[in-house]
Amino acid sequence: MVRLSELHPEEAQHMLGRAALLKRSSFDFDATPWITPRPLPESRIALISTAALHRRDDPAFRFGDTGYRLIPDDIDPAELVQSHISVNFDRTHYQRDLNVVLPVDRMRELADAGEIGGVSPIHFSILGATESFLFEQTAAEIARRMHDLEVDTAMLVPV
Amino acid sequence: MISHYLQRHGIPTTTISLIREHTEYVRQPRALWVPFPLGRPFGVADDPDFQRDVLRSALRLLETATEPTIEDYPHDVPEGGGDGVWSCSIQLPEPEVSDLEAALRAEVDLLTPWYEEARRRRGRTTVGISGARPEEIDKVVSFIVAIAEGSGFKEIPPSARGPNWNHPFPMLVRFVVEDLRAFYQEAVTSQEGTNPPSQQDMHSWIFNRTALGQAIIRIGQQIAADEEPRLKMIRGLIVPEGFWRDEVSWGAAPPGMERIHFIRSSLAYLAGEEA
Repeated sequence: MVRLSELHPEEAQHMLGRAALLKRSSFDFDATPWITPRPLPESRIALISTAALHRRDDPAFRFGDTGYRLIPDDIDPAELVQSHISVNFDRTHYQRDLNVVLPVDRMRELADAGEIGGVSPIHFSILGATESFLFEQTAAEIARRMHDLEVDTAMLVPV
Repeated sequence: MISHYLQRHGIPTTTISLIREHTEYVRQPRALWVPFPLGRPFGVADDPDFQRDVLRSALRLLETATEPTIEDYPHDVPEGGGDGVWSCSIQLPEPEVSDLEAALRAEVDLLTPWYEEARRRRGRTTVGISGARPEEIDKVVSFIVAIAEGSGFKEIPPSARGPNWNHPFPMLVRFVVEDLRAFYQEAVTSQEGTNPPSQQDMHSWIFNRTALGQAIIRIGQQIAADEEPRLKMIRGLIVPEGFWRDEVSWGAAPPGMERIHFIRSSLAYLAGEEA
């Protein structure tokens, strides 16, 4: 896993449909500027997960939701649930260990060891099943929040 | 796409990639493609060394890449994604089809001590996305039984009132099913043995060996029999690909209706916003 050829044919078809949307789009991928990041030991890093993680008392993600939820870095994993809609991905490891989808402990270890400059006090969560072109406003807002939090770099983590 | 939008607002990104074909189209600035199952971007639970190596590999691209780059992570997960043979160590009775509620409650009773053990050991549970608290699992069962037995998709079954349900009906059906699945899965993986089940193992076990699987299929059949075509999307969200035997899992648009309109209408209907 996971190339499309290794998925169940129906799931692969669904994923191919999403790939075709990307291919057909008029979005100018090459117009995105290249940014040279700061060296890792000076970089404060935030995670963005597409796993639809949120706190139990947060509003759950709705089907087609383009919003985001905040996950404090020191969250008690018991506080988090995952309202992703797909039934076709593996939840067994996430159920045992949050770090499989949101590596908060591993990030902290790298920061403690000085390999990265620091960890954002807030991470971000979205529902990855929503069509990705609809996230322009949300991404802009997340970027603004990251600047406020003095975050240098984002690490994107799909499920 | 998020990576493009973020970069355009001054935030450099690195990303884990699970589906290489998507990444090839999107051309994110820096992507580490990992050959792991969907749902497991860092590979393996409770293996900090493995997770750390994946994380470091993705972060390293921030220092090495000078143009849009996809790097292939060289290691697969140790169990190869888990198509191995797994058998549940908790003995459940043969699922009894004639009394679904009794069969489901008997399974839940047998699994409860193991679920509680897993919850204590891990300090958390993932049950609760429907809004039901883990202590309200009996209401989750009541909900599933009622829908499976034909209470319909107009309102929350009266027998399942009580929990602070956190999703609109009928979409709530999908999350109630997920909560009972999570309860089962956490229970049977409570003994962290040498050969943990993959999601495929879990699908096979649930749909071939448990009353829960039979209940989910019956809900799928209720959806199929309902005159409302927009419900069919829920079936695709509760029965994994390959386990629905009658027709394709995702609802097709009725004749004469464009697919995109059908999907939009389905979303509104499932969210309880459109009759």
